[in-house]
Amino acid sequence: MKLDELLTVLPVSVPGPSPGLLVPDLGHTDLVGLFAERLREVDGTDHGPMPLSAAGDIVLSIFAEAGVDRYLGWDDPGVPGIHDRLARAGIRRTEAWVPKEPASRMAHQSAYATVAGGLTGADFGLAESGSIVLRSGAGRARLASIVPLVHIAILPVRRLVRSLVHYAADHPAAPTGLSNLVVVTGPSRTGDIEQQLNLGVHGPRHLHVVLVN
Amino acid sequence: MALKVQLFVTCLIDGMFPEVGVATTRVLERAGCEVDYDVRQTCCGQPAFNVGLFEDAARLARKFVDEYSSTTGPIVVPSGSCADMIIHHMADLLDDAEGVVKGVTSRVVELTSFLVDQLGNPALGAVCAARAVYHPSCHGLRNLGLSYQPKALLDQVEGLELVEIEGASDCCGFGGLFSIEFGEVSAAILDAKLDRIEAAGPAVIVGGDVSCLLHIEGGLKKRALPIEVSHISQILAGQ
Amino acid sequence: MSRISSLPSESLDFRSRARALLGSEEAAAIRLGTDRFAALRRQAEGEYPPMEKMRARAGDIRRHTVAHLGHYVSRFVENLEAVGGVAHIASGAEEACAIIGGLVGARGSVVVKSKSMLTEEIDLNQRLEASGHRVVETDLGEFIVQLAGGSPSHLIAPAIHMNRAQIGRLFADRLQAPYTDDPIVLNEIARAYLREIFLAADVGISGANFGVAATGSIVTVTNEGNGRFITTAPRVHIAVLGIERLVPSFSEMAVLLEVLARSATGQRLSVYTNIVTGPRLPGEPDGPEELHVVLVDNGRSNLLGGVFEEALSCIRCGACLNVCPVYREVGGHGYGSVYSGPIGAVISPLLFGEDAFGELAYASTLCGACLEACPVGIDLPRMLIAQRRREALAGKIPGPAASLARRYSSLATRPSRFERLWRLARLATWPLARGGFISWLPGPGRAWTDHHVLRRPARRSFRRTQGDRQ
Repeated sequence: MKLDELLTVLPVSVPGPSPGLLVPDLGHTDLVGLFAERLREVDGTDHGPMPLSAAGDIVLSIFAEAGVDRYLGWDDPGVPGIHDRLARAGIRRTEAWVPKEPASRMAHQSAYATVAGGLTGADFGLAESGSIVLRSGAGRARLASIVPLVHIAILPVRRLVRSLVHYAADHPAAPTGLSNLVVVTGPSRTGDIEQQLNLGVHGPRHLHVVLVN
Repeated sequence: MALKVQLFVTCLIDGMFPEVGVATTRVLERAGCEVDYDVRQTCCGQPAFNVGLFEDAARLARKFVDEYSSTTGPIVVPSGSCADMIIHHMADLLDDAEGVVKGVTSRVVELTSFLVDQLGNPALGAVCAARAVYHPSCHGLRNLGLSYQPKALLDQVEGLELVEIEGASDCCGFGGLFSIEFGEVSAAILDAKLDRIEAAGPAVIVGGDVSCLLHIEGGLKKRALPIEVSHISQILAGQ
Repeated sequence: MSRISSLPSESLDFRSRARALLGSEEAAAIRLGTDRFAALRRQAEGEYPPMEKMRARAGDIRRHTVAHLGHYVSRFVENLEAVGGVAHIASGAEEACAIIGGLVGARGSVVVKSKSMLTEEIDLNQRLEASGHRVVETDLGEFIVQLAGGSPSHLIAPAIHMNRAQIGRLFADRLQAPYTDDPIVLNEIARAYLREIFLAADVGISGANFGVAATGSIVTVTNEGNGRFITTAPRVHIAVLGIERLVPSFSEMAVLLEVLARSATGQRLSVYTNIVTGPRLPGEPDGPEELHVVLVDNGRSNLLGGVFEEALSCIRCGACLNVCPVYREVGGHGYGSVYSGPIGAVISPLLFGEDAFGELAYASTLCGACLEACPVGIDLPRMLIAQRRREALAGKIPGPAASLARRYSSLATRPSRFERLWRLARLATWPLARGGFISWLPGPGRAWTDHHVLRRPARRSFRRTQGDRQ
């Protein structure tokens, strides 16, 4: 069916202004404290806030403790020199650029199945729900926060906002210019087997958010 | 000067629970009202309306409006579902170019709302030493907002021990003719409520709608439980 | 084909389906699940003070969008195409399946799917499989149900009717996994099995919770992460979206998101709120090379411009199911439709035909709990009554209710006849009554006395009592 045909059975008058955003007053000004509390409530792990210089150690220790030997990462997760640091510790970065040719694409991605680590930045944090916002783009693989068992996200404290609608108020055009904007609220979960909570169904089982000053 | 009110007693109370009509009259008089009862009244039309027979319901709506259009003042209804029917649906069933229908239906008020919202919860001197569970009928609770009035009234009853049960505001499963159309489902819903009632061990279930009470009583007696049902007016009349 | 047909008693009759389900293990599982979700919802609403205001705004946004649907569909298509997505319009299920089949292409493709009521509605899986493709459901619950060859029984928890032992046996049989009934191990088995499929699939098919008109984005909301896999790993991503599932802007979508998860499962936000705007951009390291959005009407436009229009505001959260006393007893399978519970009772006849589904309007006590729970304020009881009116006009009121209601109402038009009715009822019940109560009634009365005792009509009606009072 053509769009024009569909439009013959739909109301096509141009509306006045739509009802718009509503940003409630939620109070609570300690965004860091609230974010950490809410992240923990959804089974994520918070670290810091800490100076940027200390973040590298934390990333290394999280991956080492989890036995991660390979990881998918953003080119710049927000910790200078981290990829070299991890490489020196024997934790290798997997090439995140996926070939366009179909067969090569499949082969390349299939190798991701056993990559246990993911290291990204976080563009924003939402205190109300303990969420992080990740934007796709050059050097920012989407699969880095989907595939791994252990996902570490580096979140600058100044990027914390009160809640999703507060974020939308500040960034009404947030989805434009990128193919993927994702709001991640804790590690992957399901209750589909007898309503019992299981973490890490398809997405990461462990979400670590490292708050940096 | 006593406030004159019309009493629309509802068909189920008329034929099955006349003692509730008597108790309601007593309560209203104790609250300082002069109660007028038009013997021509019968039914608000809800049974027909609820199954989709709008024309049959409209005839009863017309009858109701004709009977009350020459009176003034509140029309008190001791039933949330009937009051809801009249207040929210009757006017849509009739042609109301002159606003006569709205003029009548807007005077209609459910009993507990009348006593609390319009009369300010006057002292009624009610006494009832019993352990009771209150059942808030759905139409009254959700469509008329009767969330606090019954409790406010029961609070003044000397000796009454009100027990909260889990799922207190869950539907009892009556749903009018639903109880016959899909009787097994209706009974299953009632069973869930009866389990909770039984666990609380009350002597009486108090409610604002005899339709629910008919259904709940029917289930209680089927289980041979020593629990009675009572309309709130009967508790307030100290009976 | 939008009927659920995996019931012990395959019946098009609500009464029969209900009979088969009442008191069953499945019904018990449904009750546990729905009570839990309802409690979680109440808790989440209680601890989010602006909930009422946000719900009111959410309802306004959806009603506004539906009232101007043509405008927003045009904007959505325009903006989707501007970012390199391809829009397809399907008037009905057949066309939707044909379009998607064409996009999936050559035989033997591996298609990974995330949960989508719409794809069930149009019977997509069956069509694709008939064309020689392999379709893998990836929501854990849907994956389980698919392996078992059954159908989902709840909007949000599709495998709510199966226990761990059954699932363990299923995985042992179908996935060649060692038998276990430990949910953690079962989870691990599914995870390992499915990720290989995700990463090598040809096509990913998702539903979408919303389409954003201003940006041409589609939004999928999941907890497991399969939604993200499906919309990122395969080369081709096809999103299937009902035409009514739009919102004007990203900001307004945020309002809807604040009420959606809270109403559905009591979460503040689902784990993954995934906003896709076009395919992989030049310079981006991964993502699909092609994004197709198939907009499906399939009867939705029929609801516009009348009392049922508001039903198109639905965001498929399941809150109404979780508070419905009828749904609680019979579960999704009781309704015999892809869409169950109060919203299902309203839209099923309108989308799929009154003959099969019109009677669902009567499968309700009109208690109003659904309206109370709905995050966008859809007046479901009002619509159920409107649907009952249509049934009544078609002479399709179930059981003896029609003649009972008609006769009763007719007698009620004359007080003298009404009074006589009560006197006759009193007299007629004399042989049946013990101590003022009746335990058995013949004919249609059995529907009552099978489950309750009936109080006998009063010796003197209130009207007669009043006569004495004068």
